[in-house]
Amino acid sequence: MYGKQFIPMLMVIIFFLISVDSLTAYENVSDSTNVTTAVTIERGENEHTLPPVYMVIPFVLLLSMIATGPLFYRHFWERNYPKVAIALGTITVIYYLAVLNDSHSLLHSLAEYLSFIALLGSLFVASGGILLRVNRKATPFVNMLFLLFGSVIANVIGTTGASMLLIRPYIKMNQNRMKPYHIIFFIFMVSNIGGALTPIGDPPLFLGFLRGIPFFWVIANVWYIWLPTLIVLLIMFYVFDSFNKGNNNSDTEEYSGKIEFKGAKNLIFLAIIILSVFIDPAVLEWVPSLAPLPFGIREIIMLAVIYFSFKMADQEILKANEFDFEPIKEVAYLFVGIFITMIPALQLIAHEANIHSDKLTAGVFYWATGGLSGFLDNAPTYLNFLSAAMGKAGYDVNVKTDVILFVNKDVIYLQAISVAAVFFGAMTYIGNGPNFMVKSICERAGIKMPSFFTYMIKYSIPILIPIFVVVWAIFFR
Amino acid sequence: MRTIQETLKNDIGGLCYHNRIILPFGAHFLKVIVDTDIITDFSLNSKGVFIREVEDFTDVYFLDYKDLNNSISKYEAIKMVVVEKGKDIFDFNNHLKLSLYLEEKHKVKIEECDHDILFLE
Repeated sequence: MYGKQFIPMLMVIIFFLISVDSLTAYENVSDSTNVTTAVTIERGENEHTLPPVYMVIPFVLLLSMIATGPLFYRHFWERNYPKVAIALGTITVIYYLAVLNDSHSLLHSLAEYLSFIALLGSLFVASGGILLRVNRKATPFVNMLFLLFGSVIANVIGTTGASMLLIRPYIKMNQNRMKPYHIIFFIFMVSNIGGALTPIGDPPLFLGFLRGIPFFWVIANVWYIWLPTLIVLLIMFYVFDSFNKGNNNSDTEEYSGKIEFKGAKNLIFLAIIILSVFIDPAVLEWVPSLAPLPFGIREIIMLAVIYFSFKMADQEILKANEFDFEPIKEVAYLFVGIFITMIPALQLIAHEANIHSDKLTAGVFYWATGGLSGFLDNAPTYLNFLSAAMGKAGYDVNVKTDVILFVNKDVIYLQAISVAAVFFGAMTYIGNGPNFMVKSICERAGIKMPSFFTYMIKYSIPILIPIFVVVWAIFFR
Repeated sequence: MRTIQETLKNDIGGLCYHNRIILPFGAHFLKVIVDTDIITDFSLNSKGVFIREVEDFTDVYFLDYKDLNNSISKYEAIKMVVVEKGKDIFDFNNHLKLSLYLEEKHKVKIEECDHDILFLE
């Protein structure tokens, strides 16, 4: 059904791949399928000229259209967002290939994009074949426990997996009293902040893990920031929810209190996805690198999971979940545009961060990483600021022993970057992949979701920013 | 014109041609969800949907869609809240939630919403 629509995306990917001469350069510097940052490109043998500032325009334009499209020209946007994302991405691709002669940065972005979409796609499809029924009356306390559970489980199955698995029973439980804030707090906690404790929780932490940050470093150094933040959000949610009386029909319904679970075989697929994140040459030496290909064994496993978990899924569960590839298709298209067009922005930011590294405090890293993570993808943002922080201490993010030395020396910088990259993803619908998916599922269920700007003005700025300011004042000032 | 209950009881389907759904019953429409569009404006000025009732069926045109088959997967439903003609629209017990599944050869399967389907009125 969607075959024709995938052709432009395939063309851009092929466009990346045909720059054959660059593949050799890529092979020389790549020890895995993951990215190196623009800053390291400048340090290494493969120096590239920085793009001019005006090359940020496609990125700004794309973000502006993502923000304004659904609001002011919704149907044009719904029909044409794939073309817009691909067209703006193509401008950046052509500039990098023809003017900067730098296919290296493009290939790194492609590798990162494929890794990102393989993880998101596989979690989306595998969790789409699971049906969770919670037959309980929703009360503020039950909702609070549910959100707490989701936040914790996000560290085991990722924020995407947790969001996809829990959003439907959460809506069902609250169907007689559903308000937008229910979903907004779900996005804040389950889709973002909850997943700050392990490298599986959120992609930036996973990239850090691949660079050499020990698996349990995050939980050991972030839990005491994560826990109070989550408690504050849960209390705020409880207060909001306590004022919600719902409609009178809910009082007449009977609840068995049962929790039903269907589609257990897809749990095996989820386990395969989680285990496969470790199948990387940077983590396990015996894993072969597929360089110069911009993907690895891990991505192949995840793509296989997409195929098999969909083919083997129970049709009744897919129907009950109203399974549709549209939400993941939307993420795939928009993020291919974002990943490509943000290359100049990230390179310029990394360059500036390196120049002024001696003036950069943990607080600056916190706000800069956070501010950008709300609008850019948080994974490359994290890596760029990690690179800048390590450069400040005289270390190289590409050298594993340097990363370990840095982790033991300057905890506060890594803490600031890790916390900000994950927490601030909740600031906008585009801050993190699952945010968009949750929004889309809710709209299909008949819930009128706030627009891009309303989400920020009414919810994320007044609720999250004060919390983030307190986190900064206590831990990073 | 058939009633909604007759349609459901006898498992009578509808038809779909591009952006036009033909329903074999007459009804008062309160809410329609197609893809991520939540439509509640059924006035003549509505830009999202145009409803025309004739003697034996009801036409529903989704004006923002060229072909519904390109937007709705086989697991997805067009959902609507409707009230049987002649029944009290203000009584929530009369509000029926229907799921419409697009099938092959222009057929549309009409079901009362399954308990598992997420559909908030």
